[in-house]
Amino acid sequence: MVAMDDPVGQLLFRIAAQDRAAFAEVYSATSSKLMGVLLRILGQRAEAEDALQEVYTRVWLRAGRYDASKGAGMTWLIALARNHAIDRLRARRPEQSDDGEAELVVDQSPRAETRLIAQGEARRVGDCFDALEPDRADAVRGAYLSGLSYQDLAARHDVPINTMRTWLRRSLLKLKECLDE
Amino acid sequence: MTDIPTAESPMTPEEADDALAAEYVLGVLDHAERLQVASRIKTDATFAARVVAWEGRLAGLNDDFAEAPAPNLLPQIEARLFPKPAKPRSNWMRWFAGALVAASLVAGALLLMPGTPQATLVAELGTQSEGLVYLARHDGTRLEVTRAAGTRPAAGQDHELWIIAPGAAPVSLGLLRDAPLSVEYPRPPAGWVLAVSVEPEGGSTTGAPTGPVILTAEVSL
Repeated sequence: MVAMDDPVGQLLFRIAAQDRAAFAEVYSATSSKLMGVLLRILGQRAEAEDALQEVYTRVWLRAGRYDASKGAGMTWLIALARNHAIDRLRARRPEQSDDGEAELVVDQSPRAETRLIAQGEARRVGDCFDALEPDRADAVRGAYLSGLSYQDLAARHDVPINTMRTWLRRSLLKLKECLDE
Repeated sequence: MTDIPTAESPMTPEEADDALAAEYVLGVLDHAERLQVASRIKTDATFAARVVAWEGRLAGLNDDFAEAPAPNLLPQIEARLFPKPAKPRSNWMRWFAGALVAASLVAGALLLMPGTPQATLVAELGTQSEGLVYLARHDGTRLEVTRAAGTRPAAGQDHELWIIAPGAAPVSLGLLRDAPLSVEYPRPPAGWVLAVSVEPEGGSTTGAPTGPVILTAEVSL
């Protein structure tokens, strides 16, 4: 069952039962957050709005797959939105190179940890990021929040792609060890 | 960079899978690799669970996404998900519609000259060799489906048009008779499927296809 303190998770369960009122409620409760995610990763408002429609279409179609034991409703929604945005970004990558733009978007944001302190889950992430070397933590954060690819990260940190990949994979496993403690 | 890791021990297969799941969630993979991983998620439950676990692990970073004002796109989204099937109209409605058509023909004749929105072909159902072809076009606001070859089914039966989103149940868009079917519907995304089934006259009464599905085509743009 969905926890009583997860209103979004509860709405997802109602949507899975074809409840259209719940669908409208989830849109008004969560669309600004998902718009923020899409805009940050895609960088263009028109495309972000297009993606927003696609994401909520999928929310209706896939709500039945939401498993409350695996996480909060909002976490599921953000994963869906990030995934869709990154798919779009990777699909368009060959034609347009907008590294400059991605760079700009990254730099606009405060460092993750500064805003993460309040929450338990978030605090753990912050602590575990601190255990990584700073440039590796930055790479993980840049990928997660701004949709940077290995290619972008390699260029940013001025290392070959394979090197970037090796250290990012190692960093991720280290992060897992810390987070799962 | 300071170091190039060469002397580290190789990952176990489990570690490598876990790292791949993390790379997918982070989004760093290129397009081809993402597609490969996405198809693995559908068939490999253990791997899919690794992906979900990583979504949870990194969710602490979600607070760093600032909110952004979102326009109310719900009407467009609902129009796509919950189309209103074109229903046969009652007699007075038909008369009224006839009068409207006559009036709009006059208006249309005046407007038609340049720049009328062109309907683009979104799907072709069937082939000439099969003897039955329906063409689906979209003009930006309406989906219009016309029979380009073949005839309606035997007496007592109708062809019914369905639209199917990936992983979802078919939704009826109406009956395909001799006149083109025109239904207000947003442009369906590529990858959605249009299908034609044979139903008792008047269409399926269950909300799902009951007769054989004779034609299907994926929407392409």
